[in-house]
Amino acid sequence: MTLYLALMLLFPLLGGTVSALAGRKLPRRLVEAGVCAAVWASFVCAVLAAASYRGPVSVEFGRWLSAFDLQAPIHLYLDPLSLSLSVMICFVCGLIHVYSVYYMADQADYARFFALLNLFVFAMLTLILAENLPLLYLGWEGVGLCSYLLVGFWYTDSNNATAGRKAFITTRIGDTALLVGIAWLFQLFGTFSIPQINGMGFLLPHGIVTAIGILFLVGAMGKSAQVPLMVWLPDAMAGPTPVSAMIHAATMVTAGVYLLSRMFPFIGGSAVTCAAIAITGGITAFYGATCALAQRDLKKVLAFSTISQIGYMMLGVGAGAITAATFHLLVHAFFKALLFLGAGCVITAMHHEQDIYKMGGLKDRLPLTFWPFLAGAACLAGIPLTGGFFSKDSILAAVFLKEGTLYTSLYLLALLTALLTSYYSFRLIYLVFFGSQVHVHTHGELKVMQWVLVPLALLGLFGGVLDLPGYLGGGFLDSFFGHQAGGEVGHSAAQEVALQGVAATLAIFGLLAAHWRYGGKSRVDRVRESSTRPSPLYAFLLNGWYFDRLYHAILIRPYEYLSGILWEKVDEGVIDDSLDGMSSGLGITGRWLGRWSTGKVSLYILSFAAGGAVVLGYLAWLTL
Amino acid sequence: MPTDFPILTLLVFLPLAGVLALFAVRKSDELVRMGALVVTLAELALSVWACGAAGAGAGAAGAPAGFFLYQDAQWIERFGIRYTLGMDGISLVMVLLTSFITVIAVGVSWRGIKERVPLYYALLLAMESGIQGVFLGLDLFLFYLFWEAMLIPMFFLIGIWGHGRRVYSAVKFFLYTFFGSLLMLVAIISLYLRHGAQTGTYTFSLFELIHTTVPYGTAIWLFAAFLFAFAIKFPLFPLHTWLPDAHTDAPTAGSVILASLLLKTGAYGLIRFGFPLFPEAARACAPLIYTVSVIGIVWGAWIAFAQRDMKRLVAYSSVSHMGFVALGIAAWSPVALSGAVIQMVNHGVTTGALFALVGMLDERTHSREIATYGGIWGKVPALSFFFLLFCMASAGVPGLNNFVGEFIVLMGTFKVAPGAAAGAFVGVVLTLIYTVRLVQEVLFGKEKKPLELADLSVREGGVLAVLGVAAIYLGVHPAPVLDIIKVPIALLTGVK
Repeated sequence: MTLYLALMLLFPLLGGTVSALAGRKLPRRLVEAGVCAAVWASFVCAVLAAASYRGPVSVEFGRWLSAFDLQAPIHLYLDPLSLSLSVMICFVCGLIHVYSVYYMADQADYARFFALLNLFVFAMLTLILAENLPLLYLGWEGVGLCSYLLVGFWYTDSNNATAGRKAFITTRIGDTALLVGIAWLFQLFGTFSIPQINGMGFLLPHGIVTAIGILFLVGAMGKSAQVPLMVWLPDAMAGPTPVSAMIHAATMVTAGVYLLSRMFPFIGGSAVTCAAIAITGGITAFYGATCALAQRDLKKVLAFSTISQIGYMMLGVGAGAITAATFHLLVHAFFKALLFLGAGCVITAMHHEQDIYKMGGLKDRLPLTFWPFLAGAACLAGIPLTGGFFSKDSILAAVFLKEGTLYTSLYLLALLTALLTSYYSFRLIYLVFFGSQVHVHTHGELKVMQWVLVPLALLGLFGGVLDLPGYLGGGFLDSFFGHQAGGEVGHSAAQEVALQGVAATLAIFGLLAAHWRYGGKSRVDRVRESSTRPSPLYAFLLNGWYFDRLYHAILIRPYEYLSGILWEKVDEGVIDDSLDGMSSGLGITGRWLGRWSTGKVSLYILSFAAGGAVVLGYLAWLTL
Repeated sequence: MPTDFPILTLLVFLPLAGVLALFAVRKSDELVRMGALVVTLAELALSVWACGAAGAGAGAAGAPAGFFLYQDAQWIERFGIRYTLGMDGISLVMVLLTSFITVIAVGVSWRGIKERVPLYYALLLAMESGIQGVFLGLDLFLFYLFWEAMLIPMFFLIGIWGHGRRVYSAVKFFLYTFFGSLLMLVAIISLYLRHGAQTGTYTFSLFELIHTTVPYGTAIWLFAAFLFAFAIKFPLFPLHTWLPDAHTDAPTAGSVILASLLLKTGAYGLIRFGFPLFPEAARACAPLIYTVSVIGIVWGAWIAFAQRDMKRLVAYSSVSHMGFVALGIAAWSPVALSGAVIQMVNHGVTTGALFALVGMLDERTHSREIATYGGIWGKVPALSFFFLLFCMASAGVPGLNNFVGEFIVLMGTFKVAPGAAAGAFVGVVLTLIYTVRLVQEVLFGKEKKPLELADLSVREGGVLAVLGVAAIYLGVHPAPVLDIIKVPIALLTGVK
């Protein structure tokens, strides 16, 4: 087991380092083969680890941070949660690596791209497998760094670089909250070990558990693009599409859900924190779905749908349904990666056009893209019997079964969101794949890229078997996670069927609505429709409820403006000049007196005297 | 090694002896450079050799606890001034850093300095002697001599080989630090007289003076004088304004040494002398130090964001990063202090590297304006790679060196003073903001004007690669350094 875990991390680390240092000197084919092999080798290790898994294992490899009682070793922890996520991550990332080889075939800077891709896998696995919080934080920041550099991969366009920067800084705000939470836990327990902390939560007063839980929630909001820190994810679509699929759909953005699930035995001790998580998730799910309704950029629709789907996962965590949240996380990784990779095929075929109103009729031209993409959309919409249906439903059921008006209203909101989700999913399908045809261009690379979609489509469609409801024979995840899930209330088969019936009806209803609205439209109609001036509501949704504009006005502009003022007016103007004035004043009183006339000097003296008085007063106070 | 081998004296005076060697070959600039490189490398080898003594573990004969190398001799008997040098784990780490960074400083000056080459390298070596003396001197008079001695070469380095308003900046640098030093001298003498009056033995020995009984009211003032001198060097808000000017106008190697080493002497002085001499006063002043360090962390980071000159940006970032060091010292817990010491090393490596990089860009285009650059990644990938690496290290990305120090300081301080640490956490976000702005505007985007840029030469690549390896090593495996400083920190904080 030790060997599997070590190799799982070392392969991508090695692949990434070699490509970064020597990638430009090595033959391109070798680099491409090397990075793919590294991830698939990790996958093999993950599968072997799964095969030999008997119970939670923790393995220490060596020291990292070590100062007195502060100990953060390189220490990995394998339990059902980290194991299932590792397998998924290696598999999805492996497929996306293969896809990228073809997607990026015409890019000269392949070494940098693949190095970052491999390093990302390393950081992500570290995040998942870390036994202690500082090591988790290393992975957490590592994926953020790779995301930053990959979003801005095409760096000559400063918009891409700006999008990367926005993602990095916004998530860093959440990360800092997480860091405060870690510091607080260290203060209380003197340890960073996650299993130990999870076991000691009950020792603390309720209020402190709540506060730390909220700090972790803010950390998760940043990484998992939850309201109000979600603004970076739509912009992050500026990165190459495989990056969007891998980082901004399947793996990194779900890290927040993972963090909260990982720490749930601790933070679940506070009902207030759970409610906060559930509210965040419910609102975000609704927010993302409404915004997705109005988007015209293929990737932005998917980005907002990701925000929305992660909201569902959060809602599940908030309802205490860790298994359900993880179930949805896994299935979502398959179908959302599928949708992004499918979008990559469409965009390639459309000569890098991303406006869905300019697409149409691709069903017949790109059948190998269409069918998997349809499967992905069906999962997203929650069409009965797809994997997405079962996973989303298990979250809805858990929320429904929680007591209280809060969870009941969140359940209703989640149902409404499900309806919207189905509607925008099929809006996408109708606009892109139906209607009159546009010219597309297919080439050899596209063929291979499309084949990658097939396994993902199968996993998305049949992912439900991971955790079937009780009346269909019970779930694998449920029993696998059994001992640690907790908080989930049992429910009868009849209740389950009834709930699924409601969700299924809504999904079908959304499909029909989309069919009615977009099904028969010709291309000319659409172009006309798209060129009319958008209504205020439409613009509101298109611009993501104007959060960007708000943050720009209340945070970014003041920060930039004040930095200039503080520098030139205060730091150089007051502090520096007063000190300068004083030092020259010590020697050259004459010149000093001469400056009286300007009136500035009195300000310096005043400010300096005031500062001096404060310090002297403080010292005198200590003396007494 | 034989126990009577004067390795500490050699460490302090080898560079100064090297000056004589340079004098012998002063006719050839090339030989002077080679000579300086040989001397600094020998000094580095000597420092590494000193690690062996640390590994041996046993204390030197007659040395205070924790000091594994110690040398003590009568010097000016009349005034009780002794020639006392001693090396414990903290000194060792600082001596290693000094030897390492001086080699780097010689490396980055190779092509940039074309005038008065022999004098330049002589000053560089003289400064190294002074700095090593500061890190090793245990007699307060001796310490004070080294403290003043290291200023003079830096004054000339900025004044002669600097850019822009170099004379103004040099004088400013000198006046600020000198003014602080004078206050410290007054405090030292006052302590000396008081101790003499109490015990009848007049001495400057640190380990004697520690036992002086000073009434609390007086101790506050004496500590304030020490603190003032060290705070200027640090620099702590609001005494930091000499730093941006000195950095901006200094030659590259001057900036490297200033940031990596001279600032550390302030922190070192506080750890070695300030806190141990006046523990109660220091404890009482801790809230003051917390406040100015947190303000410094936020202030430096915020103002760095507005900078147009890369050197000035890095200078303000130093104000911010050194705030973490001050925070860790003020907390004075074993963990926080470990973080502070390792943050001193990390800041030395990272900021030294950033100044070296800015110097390399400046040599190529004669501009340090951020606005000159843009989109240079495609042109100079190797240089850009290092630029990104050190910027990310500076932004505290885990796995690289700065994170280790910041993290340990924050964890340690939070335990003692959660309020102060909470303020410092804000700095974690602000640091990233100015760093990614720098990265984006220099490396990414479109080229603003066509620049004649060549990628790294072998010499430059070597300098940066060595620093890069240090940054990654300290980020991934800082445990050996943390082990070295563990014993002295346990002794200082009274924790076992």
